[in-house]
Amino acid sequence: MKAFQIKRAISHYLPDSWMYESSKQAQLLAVDAITSALEHADESVLASIFMPNEIFHALGLRPLIAEALGDFVAGAHAEAGCLAYSEREGIPNTYCSFHRVLLGTLLSNVFEMPRFIANCSVACDANNLTFRILSKRFGTPQIYVDVPMAYDEEGCAYVADQLRELAKMAEEIYSRRLDEDLLREKVACSIRTLDLVARSLRLRAGRYVKNNMGLEMQYGLALHVLLGEPEVERMARTMVRDYLSAEPFHGVNVVWSAAAPFFCVPLQKQIDVNTDQQIVASDMCFDQVSFSGWEHDASDPYLAMAERLIKNSYNGPGQRRADRLIELCEQTDADGAIVFCHWGCKETLGVSQLLVRELERSGYPAIALDGDACDRGNFPGGQAATRMGAFLEMLHAKKDAREAEEAEGLVRELERVRVEG
Amino acid sequence: MIVATPRETTVPTVYYPCKYVPAELLAGFGAKVEPVSFEAESFEDADRLAHPNLCGFGKSLISFALKKDVRALVLTTCCDVMRRVYDVLNEERCLDFLWIVDLPHLQGPREVARLRRELERLARGWKAFSGEEFDVGRALASFAPPVPRHDTRVTILGAHGPESLLEVAEDSLSLPIENLTCTGGRYLPSPPPQLGRGPREGEPCEACGDAADEPQEPLDAFLDWYAPALLHQTPCMRMSDISTRAEQLGAPGQVGVVYHTMKFCDYYGFEYLEAQRATDLPVLKVETDGTRQSAGQLRTRLQAFDETLVGMNDTIKTRATRGPIHVMGVDSGSTSTDAVIVDGDGTIVATQIIPTGAKATRSAKRVMDLVCAKAGLKPEDITLRVATGYGRDAITDADTQITEITCHARGARALAPGVSTIIDIGGQDSKVIKLGEKGDVENFVMNDKCAAGTGRFLEMMANTLEMDLDRFCTEGLNWKRDVKISSMCTVFAESEVVSLVADDTAVPDIVHGLDMAVAAKVSALAKRVKATAPYLMTGGVAANEGVVKAIGQVLGAPIQTSEDSQLCGALGAALLGLEAIKGEADEAA
Repeated sequence: MKAFQIKRAISHYLPDSWMYESSKQAQLLAVDAITSALEHADESVLASIFMPNEIFHALGLRPLIAEALGDFVAGAHAEAGCLAYSEREGIPNTYCSFHRVLLGTLLSNVFEMPRFIANCSVACDANNLTFRILSKRFGTPQIYVDVPMAYDEEGCAYVADQLRELAKMAEEIYSRRLDEDLLREKVACSIRTLDLVARSLRLRAGRYVKNNMGLEMQYGLALHVLLGEPEVERMARTMVRDYLSAEPFHGVNVVWSAAAPFFCVPLQKQIDVNTDQQIVASDMCFDQVSFSGWEHDASDPYLAMAERLIKNSYNGPGQRRADRLIELCEQTDADGAIVFCHWGCKETLGVSQLLVRELERSGYPAIALDGDACDRGNFPGGQAATRMGAFLEMLHAKKDAREAEEAEGLVRELERVRVEG
Repeated sequence: MIVATPRETTVPTVYYPCKYVPAELLAGFGAKVEPVSFEAESFEDADRLAHPNLCGFGKSLISFALKKDVRALVLTTCCDVMRRVYDVLNEERCLDFLWIVDLPHLQGPREVARLRRELERLARGWKAFSGEEFDVGRALASFAPPVPRHDTRVTILGAHGPESLLEVAEDSLSLPIENLTCTGGRYLPSPPPQLGRGPREGEPCEACGDAADEPQEPLDAFLDWYAPALLHQTPCMRMSDISTRAEQLGAPGQVGVVYHTMKFCDYYGFEYLEAQRATDLPVLKVETDGTRQSAGQLRTRLQAFDETLVGMNDTIKTRATRGPIHVMGVDSGSTSTDAVIVDGDGTIVATQIIPTGAKATRSAKRVMDLVCAKAGLKPEDITLRVATGYGRDAITDADTQITEITCHARGARALAPGVSTIIDIGGQDSKVIKLGEKGDVENFVMNDKCAAGTGRFLEMMANTLEMDLDRFCTEGLNWKRDVKISSMCTVFAESEVVSLVADDTAVPDIVHGLDMAVAAKVSALAKRVKATAPYLMTGGVAANEGVVKAIGQVLGAPIQTSEDSQLCGALGAALLGLEAIKGEADEAA
């Protein structure tokens, strides 16, 4: 806990000077969200990362997310002990390491168990296991929100009904009354925030986004854990402003898919705050946005949250994820994409080659990179760095060839104009 | 979804992997519907199209769907892997009819209505594909009668039971088996006969149970009954409420449970944790990777389990002899073949250890000759030969075979009376055997199929460090800095060791890190069988002082070893043989 509090103080008082203002905000929001949830276990809710959290915020509660906890525990170099505890408990070691860290910390009572568990079926099987076993072991009430694969109005109403039940259950457990007007405000704020995030995408093309893998994860966490909070809308607005005035970028741009192993030094050297190559966008920050508008607005907040959840690019068939990645590549003029296959994430592992094939069909070179985004012991990174390095070199070569060809075409055109003129 | 015009005039067989697939609905359209039990020889296609770290069943299913004669497959969104199998096959366009039913995780009325809509959608899709109409009579005729079993049996629970597991279980267990794995145990109630009744001519008759309102279409009436029946089966682990799964443990007639988990399917590892706590029945956990390659190891485990279920004396077949009793135990392991001869009092007369080499049969024959010569006995002086170890089935000269689990337990009792837990780490296996008060096997657990934490793992690490094994066994004792080798995958660990060497980490620190990694693995196994001190370590790795010390440190109690620990299996085999002979003699008296 101390490590988290120190990190929060550093993020608040001594943020890295090279960071954009929006990055400083994202970092502080993410670390504060996790630290305050752990500090106030009586007000926290254990939730899955894709769960709409506006209901909890409207009730003054603090969501604690498996992936957020896993990230920060890894950031504090404390994941090995939690993983060892979960293995001793018999949790399969092929299971997602984010969830193993969560189980290790809670089952060993390192952190206090929240009073309520709320998870949805998006995006993976871990939601069916982690939360149930914790609910059983601690006797904590749990609600499971079942999300259909495809969007239609019946499915949307089905999810909205479950979210209404969730709200009632949370009201009872915490003895608080939900202010529906406040909920509407928060959902309206979510919609505005996601629209700003969508706008920021095109602005990234050709600009230096000055980020690292850790920051990308923190943006992603802020946009999931705190979506609907005015601070996140402010962060998104600042992000748009930061990119509008960002310096041009002439290196290689890659789109990143899934979680990022922010602790992996060999990869950091290649991609973090680097003027030759950068992660121009990652799909964990753009999974909730809509580029074609919404069917439901905040006037019925439950339907609006349900629509967002069903349409999440991590829900439904793998083709939806592929389409989102291609959209990210197109809008950012990316040179290629990296699909990170986090250990134990069958959801991504199973679709990784399909994503690569679909991206390549659309003209974006891509690789699937195996590793672990939470357990540094399971990911020394040397081999992955060689693969990623070779991939980035290939993208540089392609970009150079393309630019040379364009320059040659330009020269030919100028020559033609001169001759004709 | 792929709904193409059939490539051939005949409507193809519809295959399905999940018990929630509406097989009877499709049968109502005249489809021949069959569960998939295919076990791929190689996962080349799945590794190329998807990823190697998916469960073997999902990967087998991809290979299955790519076969030319397979044209129709219906899946459900039952797990991450099945959803991805669908994605990959949808992209491959290898099937004429591919469908995925979006299965709810909850089972209330709202979810029944949602599933019913999904079934309607499938019905429309299949009708468009096959051109067939729904006939309720065909649907009703396809229901298997739901007969609960009460016979004395062993139940297989857990992840999908591959063919090889079911075959080995049938071969190795004396009792009949019942398959209630994820893909087995598809029990739906019998449909009400009214569903099959034709529409009444004229006015509805209340006395006959006709509703006064508009008569329903047969398909609608069928789905009204069928959707809840399908969804309310005994839930699989992906369902949110799994409370009724507990009824599968301790059902009438069930005398033991084989709990199957599959590599990279995490669902059932979680249930095993709870099941183990919830029952007093003997439970054996086996893990496979969904291929036939695990069959040898499976046989050992299942036969040992059978021995604990039916008792030893039923297993050993003795032969009549004259003269003084001499019983020989032969342990054919992956690294060495050991033999022990005991006399009628159980005293060791002679022992012999030789390397197994390339042929288990040849080394077994040699060790038997050598130990006889050492004891000054001729082969015909041996009353009984008991074989154990991996190669036990290859020892044709043996009179009977017993698994190394049971033999180690008996041998340990002789080597270290009063011992409560045996930790056996051999060349390709590590095992923890928990003994009961009388020294019999109370529970046991073995490592997964991979080499993690075994003698082979340590050998490979010694090779990576270019160190001979003798030095490797003690090098870690002089460590100064605590180095963590967190990965127990042999491949990853090797890469970690290489990185440490590149960082100039002191070799004793690396070796100590490896010793501690093995100890952590053993400790996790020990916890699974609720191991308690005093501990005895056997197997070749018992000679590795660094590992023995590390295990003691992790388990918080000293680990005994014995000079004869390598002979533990062979000695146990000989003593069990002797006890069987004496038991028979007592019975005869």
